[in-house]
Formats: sequence, C-alpha cells, structure tokens
Amino acid sequence: MNWSRLSSSEFLKAMRPFVGLFLVLALFALDSELRTVFFKGSNFKTILTQTVIVAIGAMGMTLVIVSGGIDLCAGSVVALASVVAAKLIEYNYGFLTVTFGTIFVGAIVGLFNGGIITAFRMMPFIVTLGMMGIARGISKWLANNQTVNPKTPLDSVNQLMDNSQSPLTFFPLPDGVWFAIGLAVFMAILLRRSVFGRHVFAIGSNEDTARLCGIRVNLNKVLIYTLAGAFFGFAGVMQFSRLTQGDPSVAIGLELQIIAAVVIGGASLSGGAGSIPGSVIGAFMMASLANGSSIKDWPNYMQEIIIGIVIILAVGMDKLEPLLQRHLNKQKH
Amino acid sequence: MRSLLLGAIFTSLILISGCGPNSGESVEDGLKIVVIPKGTTHEFWKSIHAGAIKAKQELKAKGQSVEIIWKGPLKEDDRDEQIKVVENFISSGVDGMVLAPLDNKALVRPVETANNAKIPVVIIDSGLESDKYTSFVSTDNYAGGKMGGDYLGKLLAGKGNVLMLRYAVGSASTTNREQGFLDAIKEKYPDIKVLSSDQYAGATRELAYTVSQNLLSRYNTEVNGIFCPNESVTVSMTKALRDLGKAKGKVKVVGFDTSVQSLRDLEGGDVQGLVVQNPVRMGYLGVKTLVSHLAGDVVSKRIDTGVAMVTKANMLESEIQELINPPIEKYLGAGN
Repeated sequence: MNWSRLSSSEFLKAMRPFVGLFLVLALFALDSELRTVFFKGSNFKTILTQTVIVAIGAMGMTLVIVSGGIDLCAGSVVALASVVAAKLIEYNYGFLTVTFGTIFVGAIVGLFNGGIITAFRMMPFIVTLGMMGIARGISKWLANNQTVNPKTPLDSVNQLMDNSQSPLTFFPLPDGVWFAIGLAVFMAILLRRSVFGRHVFAIGSNEDTARLCGIRVNLNKVLIYTLAGAFFGFAGVMQFSRLTQGDPSVAIGLELQIIAAVVIGGASLSGGAGSIPGSVIGAFMMASLANGSSIKDWPNYMQEIIIGIVIILAVGMDKLEPLLQRHLNKQKH
Repeated sequence: MRSLLLGAIFTSLILISGCGPNSGESVEDGLKIVVIPKGTTHEFWKSIHAGAIKAKQELKAKGQSVEIIWKGPLKEDDRDEQIKVVENFISSGVDGMVLAPLDNKALVRPVETANNAKIPVVIIDSGLESDKYTSFVSTDNYAGGKMGGDYLGKLLAGKGNVLMLRYAVGSASTTNREQGFLDAIKEKYPDIKVLSSDQYAGATRELAYTVSQNLLSRYNTEVNGIFCPNESVTVSMTKALRDLGKAKGKVKVVGFDTSVQSLRDLEGGDVQGLVVQNPVRMGYLGVKTLVSHLAGDVVSKRIDTGVAMVTKANMLESEIQELINPPIEKYLGAGN
C-alpha cells in the first residue's frame, strides 16, 4: 500500500491498533513491578502462544466482518474441530490427514452457513447463532459428552503449541506461532492485493453496488464463510494441541473474544473496513492485557472490566477522531 | 505534526522507563506462592483459600513471610483458561505453585513446563497423570468410599439390599469413592447384596434426579440402603426417595460432601450419614508442604487430608462443625 497517498484520517485508522498496543505496553512499562517481569522474552513467548487460537480465528472473522457479516459459531466450531482432531488421532492418522481433515470439517460448517445465508437471504447473525448450537451439540455428541483422549498421542500435533521444553527463553517458538505468523502474512496480502480480497471489501461497503458492478456476491459470500470456517477448524487443531485432548466444552464465548480482536483491530461491524494485521494485533493486545493483569495479581473481575473498557475505547476512537480533526481544522483558520 | 507527537510520546516513555531502574525489585526474602483453584465462586474453593491463608499466618508467626496469590481461571471450569493462568505465573517467576488441576491430562504439560522452569508444583484436590509434581495433597477418596460402605453396612446390621448410583463417566475422584464403597461391602458384609452399581447420574442435578427416579421405580420394594458418591447425587436421590415416601430412614442413605440441602436432609432424618472432606486442611497442607519443599525438606509424594462421617448425632460437635461450616470469614475477612 502506498502510505504517503493516504489521507491523514485513514492513516490514523490504519495505525489505531498499533497505537492501542503501544499504549498498553507503555502503561505496563510505567509500572516498575510489571516492567521487570512483563518485558522478558520468555513472557512474550507465553503471550504469543496464548494469542495463536484467537489470532487464527480472527483472520477468518475479519473476512466475514469486512464483508458486512458476522459469524457467531466460531467458538463452537473450534470445540467441534478439537473433538474431530482427537477422533482422527484415535484412528491413527498422520499429521497431514488430521490437520486437513479437521480444517475440512470447519470448512463444511462454514459452507452450510454461507449456503443458508445466501440461498434463503437470511441474516448471518441468526444463521450462525443457530449453527453455534448445532456445532456445539454435534461436538458433544461425537465426544459422547466427555473429553476425548487419544490413547497414542500424535507428537507432531501436540507439539504445535508446546513450549514446555524451554520455558525460560524466547526461542524456539512453538510451531503454531510460526504457522499463525505465516498465515497472517498470506491473508494480509490476499485481502489487500487479490481480486477476491477487493470483492470482500466491495460487498461489505455496499452489496447492491457490488452486485451492479458484476461481482458474484452470492458465490463470494459462500466462499467467505467457508474460508472462515476453515480458519476456525485450524484454530481447533491448535486448541487440541494446547489441551492435548478434544474437549467439547472448550472455547465457550471464544467468538466474542475473536470479534473483539477484529473490532479493536479497526474493523467496522457495518462492513467495508478492517485489516488482517489490525485483527492480529488486536488479539495480541487482549492476550497481553490478560497476561499483565495476571502478573499484577489483579482479581479476575478487574481484568474483565479492563478488557471491556479497552473494547469500547478502541471503537470509540472512531467517533473521537472526526471531532478532533474538526477541532484542529478550526484552530488552523 | 503526527510524527512529532508520536516521537514525543516515545521519548517520554523511554525516559520514564529509564529512570529509577530496579525500583520495583522487592528486597524482602518472602516467598511468592500462587494458589490456583478450579474456580473461585464455590464454597469448597473458598475453604481451600481460607486454609492457604491459615498456613500463611502460621508461617508468618514462625518468621517465614509468604505472599499468597489466589488466582482462578477467568472462566470457571475452563481448562484452557486455567492453563493460561499457570503459564502466566511461570513467566512471572513465582517461587512455587499450588494447583487444583481441572483435568488430569490437559494440565500435564503446563505442570511439566513449570518443572522445567524450576518452579515446584503441589497438586491438590484432583490427580494429575504425571509425576513431575512435588506432592499430591488431597482426600483419599477410596478410603472415603470405604468409610461410607462400612457405615451403611453397620446401619443395615450386615444384611439387606443396597444400590449405588455412580456420578459420571471419567470422574476419577468419584470412581475411587464408588470402588471403595463396593470393596467395603464385599469384604465386610457378605450378606449384603448389591442390586445395582452400573448406573451413572450425569453431571447435572436434573439428570441425577431423573436417573434416581428410574432406579427407584425398578428396585422400590427391595432396596434397604443407598450410597451416593457426591453432593448432587445425594440430594437428588433423597428427593426421589421422599417422592416415594421411602425417606425418613425407611431406606438408609449415605452420601458424600455437604451442601445446605444435604445438611437439611441429614437433620430431618432423610439422610443417615455424609462422608465429608476437609478442604481447609487441603489448602493449608498444600501451602505448608510447598514451603517445606522450598526450604529443602523432603516431603511425602502423597498426603491424605482425611475424611469424616457426619451424622445427625455428631453434627453439632465443634470438630464436625468446623468441617461443615468452615471458618472462612475468620481467614478471608478484611485484611487478607
């Protein structure tokens, strides 16, 4: 992107998540107790590992939100995927089959979402709300209402999120972190540079105009939800690796964390705005806040309140910026 | 303009973080110990917290200052959230951890991570499928179940028909209680017949109530005694018995753990005995064991915190009162 040609308000918008993260880290740096503990390589490794699941989910969710939709079944799909991964490992499949099989299941759920939304012109909120229950129910059914613990663990999957061997150094980072970074780069380019990416923005900005311009809106929408489902499926593989078991009751409310990360990252719930780097930074920021609160020994309710305030502030900046801009312009005249 | 502003913020930050280095480093040689329960709202966990504070006060009186950090998972009973708490405290570098693992497998890796970071972990309440911990401090559930079996056998004078409603598939603590009960009956009371011991109540009270009703409609006329391995099953089974007019001691009930309702049933004579654990002692011994390990003492790998049988006759005794009404306020009141 050509930064110099952006207007100042667009620049501010693009920088918003980074400024937010910077502010959070700055606040932590002010505190002498946190400064010594928080800014350690090993601690950043912990935070990065804890970011992976939300970040991968946020990549899929960014597509959906930018296109003007919403996906509430992300958490349920992560749980379903973690159970599917556990089941596949029980049948002694290898790394690739387990990973892609699980991603495939997530994509199927997404395909249903997108198909129903476009075929019956239903609200994404309602369809994915229903799917939230369906996917959660299926995962409990598959898992027979318990956690699924494969008898012979598959090390390659378990190691995706494993940092137990070197808890005191930044490197080596777990494989999952590298996967997430690689995916983020790929998705950022896809969303900014590809025809598909531009279509996502066009549909989110104004669906009717997009249709009139000859964009195949329905096909693209189905593709968007399917892709999002695939990302939730991959996040589910990571979730399995973290627990080393398939857990049908895991990730309840995760969709809200993912949506929060995307919104903090500068996306608009009315569509047409948002970015992959922003969403990933948003996810990292939330994990940093949780980590900092833990270290500071703030009680859990403080942590919940703080994260709530940050979400409102992050979005509130949208409204604040025009006011500030107007104020500055007045002063100039 | 913009870059100037950012620059200003940045430099001021560097200045602030630069001045007064190490100002936050505590010089006191106190130990920093984090106690991680499965959740924070239930009475059981508050009792454990009270026990941990009790240990802290006692150690302080002996000149050993200990800071207790009490931190449960952000979402109650969420395995991933509990793993995060463990990881965050490994990074922050506490001296030791007391952990009640939400799952005997999912928490294995975080505990091994702590072990690799040279942070000792004492496991309380529920077991862990690993040996990388310092000590396991909890109720001997098998012994608790045996105690229940002995007492029920005595109540029935060694003859009659009993049944046992299991709690849930895969719950290690209740499975041990159930086995203890069955072994006690088999070894000591050969004339007592076990009518049913293969039904599971399930995780919720609602489910337990339905299964209890089904079981009782089948064995209504034959059953003389019932063993329930946890609180929800005890309360639901008693309710089902009351519905049938079989309560008030017509069918003897021995349960496990206490709640307001089960104590009321005990007082009213619908339940004859409750096996209770000692969570205050669990929190207390968890911290004490960890501190002695940190001081270089050899600690036992398995520490039993004991169980007691509460009956209508002894429920007012002060020792038993301390178990069923733990002195939480005394330790968790203001100032702690």
